[in-house]
Amino acid sequence: MAQRTVAADPAQLTVLNEFLRDFWRAAALAPAGMQFFELALEEIFLNIVMHGVRPESMPLVQVSLNRVAESVTMTVEDDGPQFDPLSLAAPDLSAGLADRPVGGLGVFLVRELMDIVSYERVGARNQLRMVKTLAS
Amino acid sequence: MNVRIEALAEATYVVPEGRLDFDAAGRFQEALEKAVAGTGQAPAALIVDGAALEYVSSAGLRAVLIGAKAAQRAGVPFALCALQPAVREVFELSGFSRIMAVHADRASALAQAQRGRT
Repeated sequence: MAQRTVAADPAQLTVLNEFLRDFWRAAALAPAGMQFFELALEEIFLNIVMHGVRPESMPLVQVSLNRVAESVTMTVEDDGPQFDPLSLAAPDLSAGLADRPVGGLGVFLVRELMDIVSYERVGARNQLRMVKTLAS
Repeated sequence: MNVRIEALAEATYVVPEGRLDFDAAGRFQEALEKAVAGTGQAPAALIVDGAALEYVSSAGLRAVLIGAKAAQRAGVPFALCALQPAVREVFELSGFSRIMAVHADRASALAQAQRGRT
């Protein structure tokens, strides 16, 4: 298992992306599957930045990656205020172009792209676990 | 990300190169809005060529949606083409493929724009 902790500052996303790429390379996983984890990481991390940062405190975000056979698990934990991204309403995908609201797609895409997404409040931490089995 | 603009008589092509993430989304939105406005007159059509687009997140999708809405308001046919498989999948999951024209290549995107159906 690999682990990296950064502050909930948007500029830190490049650090997490590098961490993901290093893990992917070291695990010799097929490059095609990495995009889905990159996307999930960006969406979930930015959600924490948006919902977790308070004027007086910036949460720490810990990302763990683990591979078992062709299945990759990514766990994102933060010590910000309790927030379950899975409680967000799904976007209305049926609206036409003019009426289609802008935004709200991030968490929806994560749910669609991952096989399993689960949220748990563990002590004073938010924990989001995502699992996807890659096509071999 | 770099954004190339090719303003031709037949259409203006917007070519994002690299990653359309939260960091690049603002710049891309600006490029699209500028392309819709044109220089002097509106373009005959606006086509986003995704051949060199490696990655898109929801922030990038948001920029594309704002650009497509601006084109619609301006009466400029709008289409996407040549999306790579992973990027295409994100477009399909988000439902964008149903509200925007997505084509295999520039030629078919242009042909449909010229028929006036977008």
